[in-house]
Amino acid sequence: MARIACFVERYNFSDLRETRALENFRRTAEEKGHAFNFMFREGISEIPKYDAIFIRATTDPLFTAYVVSKTAWELGLKVVDDPESIQICGNKIHLYDLFEKHNIPTIPTVFLNKNEMHHKRFMEIFKTLGKPVVVKAPYTSFSKYVEKVACETSFRDVSKRFFRKSDLVAVQTFMPTSFDWRVGVLNREVLYVCKYMMPKGRWKHGAKRRGKPTFVWGRTFSLRRENAPAALKELALNACKVIGNGLYGVDIKEANGKYVVVEVNDNPSIYSGYEDCRNKDLYGKIIDYLVD
Amino acid sequence: MKTAYYVSMHAEVLGNPVIPSTESIIDASRTPILLLKASKAGIPTLPYLMTSSVKQIISQFAFPVVVFAVNPFSYEGYRIAGNRSALYRAVKSLSMNYKFAVCVQPLKGEMLSFKSIFGKCEQTAEVAKISEKTYETFKIPMCKLHVQTIEGKAYLCGLQPVRIEEIFPCDLERVSTEVFRMSNKGEHLVG
Repeated sequence: MARIACFVERYNFSDLRETRALENFRRTAEEKGHAFNFMFREGISEIPKYDAIFIRATTDPLFTAYVVSKTAWELGLKVVDDPESIQICGNKIHLYDLFEKHNIPTIPTVFLNKNEMHHKRFMEIFKTLGKPVVVKAPYTSFSKYVEKVACETSFRDVSKRFFRKSDLVAVQTFMPTSFDWRVGVLNREVLYVCKYMMPKGRWKHGAKRRGKPTFVWGRTFSLRRENAPAALKELALNACKVIGNGLYGVDIKEANGKYVVVEVNDNPSIYSGYEDCRNKDLYGKIIDYLVD
Repeated sequence: MKTAYYVSMHAEVLGNPVIPSTESIIDASRTPILLLKASKAGIPTLPYLMTSSVKQIISQFAFPVVVFAVNPFSYEGYRIAGNRSALYRAVKSLSMNYKFAVCVQPLKGEMLSFKSIFGKCEQTAEVAKISEKTYETFKIPMCKLHVQTIEGKAYLCGLQPVRIEEIFPCDLERVSTEVFRMSNKGEHLVG
């Protein structure tokens, strides 16, 4: 019997679909004879009492979840997400740099430095990538800090905002599609495959409502991993290979019959009735990986 | 992240040796990880608690305590809380209204903050040893160390980056001497 701690924050229980998924993890672990406890920030000092840590709170190298991951890692515990994956996936510049080195097909990307905010550079980027372009902050998650710009003024405004927290931003070709593929990968095996649809009239899966602080999300269609295109699964596995062996959610776009990686996310969303819809065994596979 | 982080990151991706590594840049400024890795490397540290609950801190440590921020936005090093209300104020401020956790350590002696350049500093032998060992462990060429001295013994408490306005010409002189020494020894590093 293994003792598994699931590191969560209060907000993880604000969405019923996520709460149900967390309960599914707990039930699956207990059915397999393991102890599964939710660990909040106040329980971090109890990490050494566990055999494995499963992080469900939002990960970022600068947030508490990273400290939890690294502490568990240093103590020799099995941890998902591992600190290296958080470090790489939490910084899109790092991710694209690795993809470039390993020839992973991605959306054409250039990096913009804080000191390059001048007319000539903006025009150069528009000439290389076309108009509009997508500006992405390195620390983006849940479709936040990803904006489309079509003129120099908005390019300058968005970049200036993103440069507050990073000296570099990624700029990509705008590639409109009706959905993004999401391939869940665990330990170099495909766990689940979904289609993240774009909400009507929007170009990304999660878009802010105009004038409101709330987000509108596109629908999610799950399909059996056996039925997903082989080339899609192969690309997802290759993209994860350059990062590590953990749990990842690979976003892929399909354009003109070709697949390109948008990004690889650590700590991918797992909502009950969505990602698990056609691949119910994902809970068991993750628990097995944690106690292996 | 600042440009220097991306320089280290790019060097690592290309497979070039670099100091500091991106891992060290992140880990050394997260106080609980700094203390955990430091104690594993044999550097004396004090017990610590990472939480955002004042009640939990009070139940574990007696006053006074030293509170460090564990978030990417607070620069100010640490705060000393001598009583419950000071602790509430410190935690509220350093946790950014309880959004992030803080790292708390007991205060049993005196806090000392100083610059460490390639592990070298102008402090007592005991403190200088901590500075050297911290450099050996994390390979951060220039940083500010927070150390607690208790009855002549020194304990590492925290590390933070040095602000540009805190770097003086004599520090740059030391950096160039050290880099010159390293390159003479045949150590080719990006950094």
